Amino acid sequence: MKAISKTSIVWLFLIAAIIVIPFVSGSYVIGVMCFVAVFGTLGVGMGVLNEQAGIFSLAHPTWFGLGAYVSGILAVQGATPPWLGSIIGAIFVAILSVLIGAPLLRLRGYYLACATFGLLLVVEISLAQLGSLTGGHEGLMGIPPLSMFGFTFETDLHYYYLSWGLCLACLWFLHNLMGSRVGRAVKAFSDSEVAASSMGINVPAFKLKVFVLTAVMASLAGSLYTFYLRFTQPGIFGFPLLVELMTMLIIGGGRTLYGPLLGSFVVLWLREFIHMYLGKLLPRMTAEVDAIFFGILIIVILIFMPGGLAGWVDKLLGLNRRALGRASD
Amino acid sequence: MEGLQTDNLLLDVRGLSKHFGGIKAVEDVTFGIIRGSIISMIGPNGAGKSTFINVVSGVYTPDAGEVHLEGEDVAGLPAHAMASKRLSRTFQLEELFSSLTVLENVMVGCHTCSSSGVLSCGFSIPFARKEEKKLRDEAMECLREVGLEERADDTISQLPLGERKLVGIARALAMKPKLLMLDEPAGGLAAHEVERLVKLIYALREQGLTLFIVEHNMPFVMSLSERIVVLDEGKKIAEGTPDEVRSNERVIKAYLGEEVA
Repeated sequence: MKAISKTSIVWLFLIAAIIVIPFVSGSYVIGVMCFVAVFGTLGVGMGVLNEQAGIFSLAHPTWFGLGAYVSGILAVQGATPPWLGSIIGAIFVAILSVLIGAPLLRLRGYYLACATFGLLLVVEISLAQLGSLTGGHEGLMGIPPLSMFGFTFETDLHYYYLSWGLCLACLWFLHNLMGSRVGRAVKAFSDSEVAASSMGINVPAFKLKVFVLTAVMASLAGSLYTFYLRFTQPGIFGFPLLVELMTMLIIGGGRTLYGPLLGSFVVLWLREFIHMYLGKLLPRMTAEVDAIFFGILIIVILIFMPGGLAGWVDKLLGLNRRALGRASD
Repeated sequence: MEGLQTDNLLLDVRGLSKHFGGIKAVEDVTFGIIRGSIISMIGPNGAGKSTFINVVSGVYTPDAGEVHLEGEDVAGLPAHAMASKRLSRTFQLEELFSSLTVLENVMVGCHTCSSSGVLSCGFSIPFARKEEKKLRDEAMECLREVGLEERADDTISQLPLGERKLVGIARALAMKPKLLMLDEPAGGLAAHEVERLVKLIYALREQGLTLFIVEHNMPFVMSLSERIVVLDEGKKIAEGTPDEVRSNERVIKAYLGEEVA
């Protein structure tokens, strides 16, 4: 009971902060916070999939990219209104992730990681090569802004509320899910597949459900991202994004639900600060400093906070006794 | 003859075999489990007892033979389908879910008795919330049954081995089983823990549950079982009451050895 009231306080605080931030800050902060929400949505889904369900899939940027491209292409060609394109993108990703997940999820661990990494590369290369449809390496240009029922989302502030709305909706959905019958089944098969199936859990079916669900969330985030930037490029959805998401998961802590969101916040703002201050000091070295800084940070976090920032905060607050229990496994 | 038996027989195993390459782990095993009885399987290490339980519970698919549950052939079904037929089991090495609390472990056992899916759980619709509360109560009831209600919110790693075994049983009971198969429930337990387990098994028997126990602990098996099946090198070498088995030449030779002789 105590834990529940603490959780609702955290929720209230989070929602209040998101509403207040635009009033007390400028367009720069709002712009960065949009990215925090989009990558947070992506990270939260990947955290559930990789860490809680134990399905080590590296294809998450792919679903993000396919959502972005399908809705982007439909909007550029004027085939459907952007909001409908986003939904079509999500349905497309759902179908594709079922077709690909059904055979691939029979693999485990590194084998699954290899296969999904292959998928990541194949999709990135295909997007670059299907020039007439996707705009090739240069990317897809002229994407209109998102509009819905006569209202057009134009400013950063519009996208700020939209992206945080999506992010919190996904977080809320997954929070409910992971605390329910389905969530228990998912955690159960990640601990012991044989015991889970002996309890009547259809493990392959549940794996597929989690895989598809998080892919659809990534797809929706991708659509939003593409309408916000009004531009998209194959390179965005490749290996660098995967590394970025992994960094967020490790720093934020993928074992807790909100950890990747925290990771997204910390990583993106740290990067902003590095660029702001080092840009003046070492104008030509920023990218290298960025890479070295995050490399060292990951090592430090893995040594001193193996549960990431979120795991550490939970231990501090006593919110999650399971984090304590796990330490002795 | 079969027609007479099937009324009383809960589980009827006929000619069950499981081979791993050249190793005949279970070879042509036939016996029946009568409703409401306690039947045990014993045998030396490597006799194929655990393999047998894994085949019957659907973890392995048999190479030959039939398993009839109330007259229906269920051999070869996957484990989750066996579970939904109310064949429930525990594991030799507990196989509890370490990222869940004790109560949540037992709630996983209620899986087949519940139906909320991804969307109803994710959107937390009233049906899912109501079912969740019902599962919590049912799981709590099972924990009470094994005497662990005070441990409900603990993590698995906080429990001693004896209590972990009990959580495994509570989790299996939550499936409302027709047949409960216990894989070495007394393995590694201290004397007082075994006593607690015996009491529990008698209590379950009183409620009309049918139990199948695979075990090494001889006094435990001899005192509890109504019938005993003896396995050696994958084959059934004897079946009967504890007294019959105890005095069986082949059993003494294969397993009990000097202790009885």
